[in-house]
Amino acid sequence: MIFGVFGKKSLPLLVLFLVALIFLPYAAPRFYIYLASVILVTGLLATSLNLVLGYGGLYQFHHAVFYGIGAYTTGLMLTKTSLPAWVAFASAPVAAAFFGLLIGLICARLSSLHFGMLQISLGSLIWAIVYRWYDFTGGDDGIHGIPVPEAMSTTTSSYYFILAITTLCLLLMFIIIKSPFGRILQALRDNPERCEAIGVNITRHRIIAMVIAALFAGAAGSLFVTLEGSVFPELLSWTLSLEILIMCLLGGWFTFFGPMLGACLIISLRTFAGNYTEYWTLILGLMMMLTIFFLPKGVFGFVNELFRSKAPDLPLEESSHVAD
Amino acid sequence: MKSSLKLFCLAALIGCSLLTASNAFAAETIKVGIVDTYSGPASTYTNDVRDAFALEVNKINAAGGIFGQQVEFVTRDSKFKVDLGMSAAKELVMREEVDILMGTINSALALAISDFAKQEKLPFLATFAKSAKITGEKGHRYVFSMNENTTMIGKAAATGLAKLPYTTYWIAGDDYEYGHAVADGVWENLKKLKPEVRLLGQSWWKVGEPDFTPYITAMLAEEPDAVIIATGGRDCVPFLKAAQTTGFNKLVPFYMHTATEISTLKPLGLTAPEGVIGTANYHSYYPDTAENRAFVAEFEKAYDRTPAVGALYGYITAQFISKAYAKAGEVDTEKFIDALEGLSVDSPVGTVTMRAEDHQIMLPMFMGVTTKVEGQQVLVASDIVTISAEDAMPSLEEIRKARQL
Amino acid sequence: MELHTGLSFSVLCIQILVGLSKATILFIVASGLTLILGVLRIPNLAHGSLYMIGAFTTYSIATVFSQSSLGFWMALLLAPLLVALIGLIMEQGLFRFLYKRDHLMMLLFTFSFTLVFGDLVKLVWGSDYRSLAVPEIFQGSLSLLGMPFPRYNLFLLLLGPVFAAGLWFLTNRTLLGKVSRAAAVDREMVGAVGINVNRIYAAVFVLGCYLAGIGGALVAPTQNISQGMDHSIIIEIFLIVIIGGLGNVWGALLGAVIFGLTDAIGILVAPQFGIIFPYLAVITVLIFRPKGLLKSIW
Repeated sequence: MIFGVFGKKSLPLLVLFLVALIFLPYAAPRFYIYLASVILVTGLLATSLNLVLGYGGLYQFHHAVFYGIGAYTTGLMLTKTSLPAWVAFASAPVAAAFFGLLIGLICARLSSLHFGMLQISLGSLIWAIVYRWYDFTGGDDGIHGIPVPEAMSTTTSSYYFILAITTLCLLLMFIIIKSPFGRILQALRDNPERCEAIGVNITRHRIIAMVIAALFAGAAGSLFVTLEGSVFPELLSWTLSLEILIMCLLGGWFTFFGPMLGACLIISLRTFAGNYTEYWTLILGLMMMLTIFFLPKGVFGFVNELFRSKAPDLPLEESSHVAD
Repeated sequence: MKSSLKLFCLAALIGCSLLTASNAFAAETIKVGIVDTYSGPASTYTNDVRDAFALEVNKINAAGGIFGQQVEFVTRDSKFKVDLGMSAAKELVMREEVDILMGTINSALALAISDFAKQEKLPFLATFAKSAKITGEKGHRYVFSMNENTTMIGKAAATGLAKLPYTTYWIAGDDYEYGHAVADGVWENLKKLKPEVRLLGQSWWKVGEPDFTPYITAMLAEEPDAVIIATGGRDCVPFLKAAQTTGFNKLVPFYMHTATEISTLKPLGLTAPEGVIGTANYHSYYPDTAENRAFVAEFEKAYDRTPAVGALYGYITAQFISKAYAKAGEVDTEKFIDALEGLSVDSPVGTVTMRAEDHQIMLPMFMGVTTKVEGQQVLVASDIVTISAEDAMPSLEEIRKARQL
Repeated sequence: MELHTGLSFSVLCIQILVGLSKATILFIVASGLTLILGVLRIPNLAHGSLYMIGAFTTYSIATVFSQSSLGFWMALLLAPLLVALIGLIMEQGLFRFLYKRDHLMMLLFTFSFTLVFGDLVKLVWGSDYRSLAVPEIFQGSLSLLGMPFPRYNLFLLLLGPVFAAGLWFLTNRTLLGKVSRAAAVDREMVGAVGINVNRIYAAVFVLGCYLAGIGGALVAPTQNISQGMDHSIIIEIFLIVIIGGLGNVWGALLGAVIFGLTDAIGILVAPQFGIIFPYLAVITVLIFRPKGLLKSIW
């Protein structure tokens, strides 16, 4: 189901695509390299969300918190300490995973909406602290002019760094999904009662999934620092969380690359449509409505259906969610 | 039928996302890119900046442009978000290839763009953002501020307040960087000018606080001689409204930056509180010079509304751009910056100069008291005292210390 | 972090009263949401947008009457009806086809309405913020315990219990209310008994929107009417509904009171971090009573 319908034949396609991305800076003007970097980082974030959302069936409503924590960790360490840069970058996923554990421990017993709302409350608490603690986090001003290491300070070099890390993270996430753990996670999404009956500890699995998702979100956050050289409280806002949820939805949340496609769609829309009209959120809203109405599995899901072969491990029908 | 509809939606989605516009500008123009917030309440202020700028640019172009080149500008809406604003700024520089960046009312975004401009070696003219860090701690060669900042507000207000008979004060305001910076600025300078003043206490509310009544009651309970209210654009109007409802303005005199400005007083009309002390950088009726009257008439004719302070910023920005290029002799960034330093232009508030050392514009400030006037629907400032730019500017010593030079 | 401990009794009392008057509006809007969420199982993110449209419409209608007292009462009457009409169109035109979808889809679908409405409001009313004058009878303040207490806040304070009683009556004593609650639990059974469930759903949705509209109308004189109103209230009312119990009107009242009070007292006690007190309250409730304080419908 990961490659959807294309099956093993899509592997060379993927490699081709990756090669194209590597050669992008030679072919495209500077702005598009920057744009590609933005899409990669946001796509990574959306994919990490999909780990718990699409594959885990959890209502992760405030995923952006882990992204922001990762970004602030790297930003603060680069600005305030003289530790080597790689430490700053490696700390981001660790810090994010820690908070993922904390929040997971508090939320995991709840289900669906309640889980989501509690997460929003906890996330908003963290946001409020970052927003108010002016002396440490720069408060509502944020931190700017972060000393990004020389090797990744230009548009092209940061692009390659982001491409490398993103590819690595995606690979790792893919392996995790295909692993036994990943299978159990999907089983938990589809039929939690049955899993409990065969002895699976639901809460523990959910927490682990959240920690992993937070880890990759934190990695995305540290990449953001190389992208903009700034961090600010909006990186932890619930509106950003909702945005990445939309990316997963639009792109297709039962597929692996759906979120990445969703990120591509939304960022392109917002960058280019904004040039024509100031009402591009209206367009986004209408697009979303059309998608939900006619393409309930998102764009990639729809593409899969179009060329459908009898893929054996399709998820159960959506009504199984309502039983939550 | 349904599947072809699905296909259409898919195609539409792809089509929308692949839209790539060709370069918006014709060849050989001077391009200015403005990133600002044009949605939500902040747009009341930023629209004036853009509109006055547009007016001046049209005049410059009609007179032949700069060295025969037309001046063009595009705007991008950052929706008061830093990430959208940064993306827009990068798009303007990398794709539209602007010569100058301008904006924004959001101080955090202004600082981020300033940093970006430094890396790109492109001039950034900050309009409306009031953080003193822009030309202070985070100042550099490529950033210029076209409006007053929190240090200047503090000094000017303190100069005015020191002349008044109040000794015990209370400070209250929006709990974010701007609020604290203004309050600190006013208080530090007031203490210097009038050492006998005492601070009884402080209260801070969140930005966008819907109900000020509890804070007002708490302040009244403390019985200060006067109160310093440090609110940002969003809360000025609601606070004044609450002051009127609770009768706060009649019980305790208070000071608020922009309380006397038309942007703040117009939405309240005749229900605005009287007797509020305010500072402002521009009034359409003061100073009553020929320049100011001409400026107001031109703006009103073009846009059917009275210009507010944003219009002043937009106007002087356009003037500075045109005069700096003229002085530089050619369209060259480094020469433009050198020419801009120390340059003076005429404006509706008199001659204003761009201080060379820190790239901060020197604007006079006007302190007055809100008053009803017979026959007018909006309150005006009366008993206006002018605080000269020199008195309001931060000292060069302070700037050097902030930048650790 | 400053703590104000030397508070006088009167300031505390006024503060509590202000908190409760704020809670009234939160309650009215949240009750609309809890009905929609409880009966129709739609996590209606667009509820905040409807509230905002209610406020803007109130401003416009009142301005037609030059913001006189008559204008305000006319607006209070008409604006919620307009919002209810918008709700009807939404329900009949779109939501009706989506009831079988899962929550997440509905959540995102309603969110797309938020985006659309947000821009539509900007299109129709522009981006300036508006200020509406309080109607004359309520202008000024009373002197309560030596402190000024705005009359309008008193009005809101008295309105709260009236609405609570009215809604309780509607949901528990009328046929519509009873059938709705039944339909929330077992839609098919209600349909099998011969009741047109579609009409019930439509009625409840419209009622919910009407309540959002009234909330917007009531809040209009007290704060800036601007874009962003929808964003700031939606999280608050969702949290209130969650801690109160889904579909439970008394739960919404309880939740709103908790929210209003913790906010008001938090401001007094620790003004710098006052903003986190309601969130702390919500977190505490959800940890100990994950399903909400009072009974949920589902």
